[in-house]
Amino acid sequence: MGGLNPDSIERDYQVGGEIPPLVKQMTQEAINLFEGSAGQTGPSQFTDEETARETLGTEGTVASGRMSLTFAIEMLRRYFGSDVYNHGGFVDLRFLRPVRPGDEITFSGKITDITREANGSRVSVEIKVENQKGDTTGIGAGSAVVPNAYLPAEE
Amino acid sequence: MAEAGDKILLDWDALEVGETFETFEYVLTQKMVDDYRLGVMDPEASFPTIAHKVDVRQYNAKYRDNGSVNARCAFYCYNPPIPGKKLMVTAKIADKYLRRGKNYIVTEAVSVDEDGRLIDRVITHELKQPNEVGKKWGG
Repeated sequence: MGGLNPDSIERDYQVGGEIPPLVKQMTQEAINLFEGSAGQTGPSQFTDEETARETLGTEGTVASGRMSLTFAIEMLRRYFGSDVYNHGGFVDLRFLRPVRPGDEITFSGKITDITREANGSRVSVEIKVENQKGDTTGIGAGSAVVPNAYLPAEE
Repeated sequence: MAEAGDKILLDWDALEVGETFETFEYVLTQKMVDDYRLGVMDPEASFPTIAHKVDVRQYNAKYRDNGSVNARCAFYCYNPPIPGKKLMVTAKIADKYLRRGKNYIVTEAVSVDEDGRLIDRVITHELKQPNEVGKKWGG
């Protein structure tokens, strides 16, 4: 493994293998920080209950789907390693139910396919997101191309 | 399309797939990165651009509508952006579709930094009837 990033992850990927889940506690403070990080300071359906009522017809605020997208990326980055996932990783999520402040959401994944590519293997993963009630809030898929050097030597 | 102020009221039927918006440029600051990492509770989160919603920023600068709800989002990580660098974003209307009587718009944006490094690509499907959230999921 000489010359590789010391944080690189060598792993034997198998179809059906499970990704370590990621659990997040959603808070209004976290939502506000996420929305404000790009300089968005005005009221929105994410940060202001009245705006949420007017725009969405909900009693309270909701979290942007992009926060769930970020968490799915974090789960995959931790699994594949940042040197792999941050340079060619992909995720595609469909948002099925609102995520609200106070929710605990769990991201899980399972390997669905492994295909050979020029410089490695594309490992594809199905993703599921559930809240503390067991309701599915999102589903999707992700992938990364794991370089040959990070894969166990073939026998 | 009827105009009010500087923005154009969205006429979904008239909206052209392929419409490309003016390039949007901004400098990614360390504070943006720090706030983003606090918000997502991940000190190693590398793509604060997700929170910047740059794929719909230029759309929202041009059009006004009843708001939107993110129905689906795809994100390609190419290279983490570097704080202090200017980012250039090109965005377009990639698609639009009707599903179960609801209108959706698909936007796509690619971010590149001032050195020409490809940063990311984001594709977002937005439901343009946001009050459907309240109707379907109640309070």
